[in-house]
Amino acid sequence: MHQLEPIPEGVRQALNAHGITDAQIKLCAAGDMTTEGNFAEAWLVATEQELCILTGVKAVVPKDKRFGRKQVAEQWQEVSYRTVALSAIEEVKAQSLNGNGLLVITIGEQAEVACRYSNTMARKFGQFARLLNKLRKGEQLTEKDFTAEVYQPQCPTCGRLYPNPTRRVCPRCLDKRKLFMRVLSFMPRYKKQVIQILLCMFAGSLLQILSPYVNNRVFFDEVLNPAGKYAGRIFSAVLVMGAIQLVSIAASIAHGRINAELTARVVFDLKTSVFQAMQRLSLSFFTSKETGSLMTRVNSDATHLQYFFHDGFPYFIVNAINLIGIITVMLMMHWQLTLLVLLPTPLIVLCVTKAFPKLWNAFSRRWRHNSALNSLVNDALTGIRVVKAFGKEDTERERFMQRNTKVYQVNMQVGHIQAVLFPVMGLIMGAGRPIVLSIGGWQVISGEITIGTLMTFLSYLSMLYGPLEFMTHIVDWWSSCMNAAGRIFEILDATPDVAERKDPVRLPNLSGHIELNDVSFGYEPNKTVLENIALEIKPGEMLGVLGYSGAGKSTLVNLISRLYDVQEGCIKIDGVDVRDIAVADLRAQIGMVLQDTYLFAGTIMENVAYAKPGATIEEIIRACKVARAHDFIIKLPNGYDTLIGHRGQNLSGGERQRLAIARAILHNPRILILDEATASVDTETERGIQEGLESLVKGRTTIAIAHRLSTLRNADRLLVIDKGKVVETGTHEDLIKLQGHYFKMLEKQRNALKIRGVEVSEHQLAGRAG
Amino acid sequence: MSTNLPDALAEYAEIVFLAPEKCKFSMTAGGFLALEYGEDKFPVVSAYRSFPLTLGDKYISIRDDKEKEIGIIVDLADFSSDQANLVRAELERRYFTPVVETVVKMKEEFGYIYWEVITDRGPRRFTSRGQHDSIVPVSDTRILILDVDGNRFDVPDVRLLDAKSAKLLESLM
Repeated sequence: MHQLEPIPEGVRQALNAHGITDAQIKLCAAGDMTTEGNFAEAWLVATEQELCILTGVKAVVPKDKRFGRKQVAEQWQEVSYRTVALSAIEEVKAQSLNGNGLLVITIGEQAEVACRYSNTMARKFGQFARLLNKLRKGEQLTEKDFTAEVYQPQCPTCGRLYPNPTRRVCPRCLDKRKLFMRVLSFMPRYKKQVIQILLCMFAGSLLQILSPYVNNRVFFDEVLNPAGKYAGRIFSAVLVMGAIQLVSIAASIAHGRINAELTARVVFDLKTSVFQAMQRLSLSFFTSKETGSLMTRVNSDATHLQYFFHDGFPYFIVNAINLIGIITVMLMMHWQLTLLVLLPTPLIVLCVTKAFPKLWNAFSRRWRHNSALNSLVNDALTGIRVVKAFGKEDTERERFMQRNTKVYQVNMQVGHIQAVLFPVMGLIMGAGRPIVLSIGGWQVISGEITIGTLMTFLSYLSMLYGPLEFMTHIVDWWSSCMNAAGRIFEILDATPDVAERKDPVRLPNLSGHIELNDVSFGYEPNKTVLENIALEIKPGEMLGVLGYSGAGKSTLVNLISRLYDVQEGCIKIDGVDVRDIAVADLRAQIGMVLQDTYLFAGTIMENVAYAKPGATIEEIIRACKVARAHDFIIKLPNGYDTLIGHRGQNLSGGERQRLAIARAILHNPRILILDEATASVDTETERGIQEGLESLVKGRTTIAIAHRLSTLRNADRLLVIDKGKVVETGTHEDLIKLQGHYFKMLEKQRNALKIRGVEVSEHQLAGRAG
Repeated sequence: MSTNLPDALAEYAEIVFLAPEKCKFSMTAGGFLALEYGEDKFPVVSAYRSFPLTLGDKYISIRDDKEKEIGIIVDLADFSSDQANLVRAELERRYFTPVVETVVKMKEEFGYIYWEVITDRGPRRFTSRGQHDSIVPVSDTRILILDVDGNRFDVPDVRLLDAKSAKLLESLM
């Protein structure tokens, strides 16, 4: 039996009661809304003969008593049931509205809503509609129709929706302890340093604990006391004290040095792996996140971890040893007094568990606001030309002020909380001292303990609260570090949507035959950009793709070059599904020239050679000549050595474009994609580049997207896309005869030229006559 | 040849404002909106808001089944209440945006926010991306929450929520 998702027991019983047996069910899917727009469950179940629409009440949220009566949460209760004969249905369509979607069935002339669903279900119902149409036409559904994974949007442990459907990791169920262990797992690579550090720490702690004992107990009771063991040997005692101090300091210096080296190394490794992981990810990961937030992740989160490694974790161990050591020694010296001194400890714990979450919340808010501020600065600086061009400096300053004010406010909040929290903690912790002084003092007078013991005790007491206070901080350290680690691991773990198969097909020599079978795709679940595209491009053919903006032209080439994966249907190159081809082979043989050329900071030479690092100088110059870039490069004072800055701002749009074309020529791909490659070039320059392009296009499969119809003068065939569908295809002459979309576009461009006072013939416009 | 800018661009520049007296909206048996406009009959039309957040009843674009604009309704208030309600029902279906009445739980972890809310359309759990990506401040007191799937939830006035819900939301604003 095939279906889109498993049927829960209650629904199965309801279906059985209506005479639908499990064996009859061919297809089923659950929606989450009634047609009136209330959240409830509705099942669409199709047999070979009919479509059953079953709605019922079952709260989407289980078991919380604030969500209503318990039995509602647990039991499926049927509300309505109706069936429609499949033979009566003319068409099934998943229609996406802005806030939700409708599954519309057309019976006779009448369209009606079979099911309404939230955007969460949009993709599932798109698939449902497609399969139901097949079923309706009497076609059998096969395994292949269900190759897409069973829709599973929720974490099985906690029932939370996955924040990222492509990454089946539930951050909520992600074990923080595991995270911590994983952070620590960066450490074993540096075994030697870790062992050295541990030795230093042990030595340091031991001496630290020893020193008050020698300084007070031994000095007062054994040296100054005439009856003592070392009576009168003041000089030796001071010498021992000094030696302890010196060794202790030496250990601490060694520890600090090794530690600094280690943490810097760990953070270095961490940043490297994060950056590597980011490069590995698919385009969709980057478009869904703001660049500013990504930069914060690499930099600030890694720094957070550095703090933890440097200031947090080692001191945690030192303090833990100190704490245990001190308490042990205190207990040995005077256990009753020790227990009394430790009385306020539960209060401290209470303080940490109750008051600290507030502080953490504020910290995380501070991170968010800072991140938002960073994005804004990033935006404003990247778009500085637009800001200046419209004279909007004041507006930008205003926007900055707004976000900066928020950062200021949240900083103040953090400060306020800290200002209250820490002194109160200090007060609670200070409560031990009067206890020791009063009870201990009385015991000294009565001769129960020596003055040395009391002094030692007071020293230990002051040493005890340091680590204790630190331990309360460590929770905060831990928490913010784990948050940072979580974000970093999210990137490290994110699986690219466009992943290479385990044993990919190697195709080092493509012929360039491209085939698209029923390809559908959308960047967002509720918006299809391309719908059922079928297309074949022969090796060496040049296909011109036309359409209004937003028609899906660029998406088409993004899919062919596999920057994204198709959601339905498949794309084959040389008869092999692109998802099966080794990514390296694919990238090596597909070249793209885009409208918005990105030039990296570096010389012109380096930028052209980007696609082929080993290229000889002759090859590079030849490529530039073909791209009509050589002449302008030669005229630059630094020629090919000219440094181009961020986005090549010291070059004109046309010049940058020509460099991009040179890059593609050098790359020498089997399949060439020109996405508005000459859009930012004036007609005159275009004519120049055109010759370059012509020689580039020769002998390769080329897909050229253009607004300007004259750009496509050499295309063997034209394809017109409108609203994600292929509406026309054929040669220039074919499409003129058709008098459809292409004809209209041609007319419009001619009108536009007329406005400029240019008279053109139809052939000139399409560039056929040269 | 003479140049004539208005002619060439006329079809883009012209706005058809639908006259209330010429419009006759009706509901098909299948629950879709139909329109008779003067002589023209449109068996199925759809309605879009130009300003879904700020001017819900104004500048409504009415489109035919090919999504070509028939015209714009300047203000639904100019229509009889029956007619206006038909259009409003269609709009509400398109811009389905449950109104959050109570925030039961809201927890942020690892840059995602997990919600449990009670809306005017029933209880709902959802996940949204971090605050910056998912909370759209419409005004000082109104926010729109977008979840990871693109569903929208409206909080028309944070001040009108119960204290606990308001407190949870305020930490995001």
